[in-house]
Amino acid sequence: MADDRDAGSRRGTHVVAAVLAVALIAAAIAIAVIAARGPAAPATLQDRVRAVAVELRCPVCQDLSVADSPAPLARAMRARIAAELSAGASPAAIRDGFVRSYGAWILMAPPRRGLSLVVWVLPLALAVAGCVIVLVAVRRWTRDRPGVSPNEPSAEAPDSRDESPDLPAADRRLLDRALAAAGAEDPE
Amino acid sequence: MSERATSESTARHPTRLGGRGRGAVWIPVGVVVVIVALLAGLFAFGLGRNPTVVQPVIVGKVAPAFNLSRLDGGRTLNLSSMRGQVVVLNFWASWCADCVVENPALRSAFQRYRDQGVRFVGVSFEDQSGTARGFAKQMGMGWPLVSDPGTNTAIAYGVTGVPETFVIDPDGRIVAKTIGPVTYSVLSEQIAHAMPGGA
Repeated sequence: MADDRDAGSRRGTHVVAAVLAVALIAAAIAIAVIAARGPAAPATLQDRVRAVAVELRCPVCQDLSVADSPAPLARAMRARIAAELSAGASPAAIRDGFVRSYGAWILMAPPRRGLSLVVWVLPLALAVAGCVIVLVAVRRWTRDRPGVSPNEPSAEAPDSRDESPDLPAADRRLLDRALAAAGAEDPE
Repeated sequence: MSERATSESTARHPTRLGGRGRGAVWIPVGVVVVIVALLAGLFAFGLGRNPTVVQPVIVGKVAPAFNLSRLDGGRTLNLSSMRGQVVVLNFWASWCADCVVENPALRSAFQRYRDQGVRFVGVSFEDQSGTARGFAKQMGMGWPLVSDPGTNTAIAYGVTGVPETFVIDPDGRIVAKTIGPVTYSVLSEQIAHAMPGGA
């Protein structure tokens, strides 16, 4: 009967895991599809101008895009973008024109090549390195702790102390002596 | 007794580390040293620079063409018509205090180089033509002045404010750009450099 219940709960766990896995995969596919499609194409000229202008830095402002700045120069730039879009220029060509005049500095986001690639890659690399460090640390902590592993029968707990791999013989003797002394002082 | 044992064990700790994993200890230390060195280098590089100074990328490139109407309502002025001559292109405005500061330098350079085939052009930046004309008269700007509708020429030259002064060589290439008030010595040097046979 206990076996039946165990089997039942195990089946339940499997079902939950399967449902979670399906939900995760579905979410991942949805995100991938949305990311691949990108934002919907802006409809009006105003929206298309804004789409270009948000990527350009207002030269006379502090950390403000051409789209968001009320400065006369930014207004002139928006008008220029509108005129070029109306003339059939692609957003990329318009952006390149501004870069030719002002340099890559005019772009709100640094280009993903050359030295600027560092600011894109470094945070990702640091995040991955952090995850690896945490994983390694957690694994080391759990391995060094005797009796924590669920596979070890509790009856063997006192012996598992001796199997602790990180303690050399000299320290083991010291620890035993300390424990013995503590036991002698405090009989409980 | 237990205290003594604890201190003994602590004292032995370094021996343990040294004996078992000398490499394992030095790897994190090395990583920290490398990171600190990189940060120090980055700060030394970044903090020593003026964040408001941006290297003008347009220097060395072909000067963007323009065909602008004169402030006094006369004919238009075309950059291509000045090919073969050194052109000093100055962006200015009547509301610009630094344009008053640099005015004597511009006038002196104009007086000195006008007979040597150097063309001076003043482009009015974000200004009303009436106010701009009055300012130009008051300041004695005797060179051709043009208006820039839609600020298109200023944007093409990567102008971020006034005054800015470009020197264009006879081949139509931008050889110098000065952001802020230009001085006579700097401008003469730039003009001499742009002239045929100039160093």
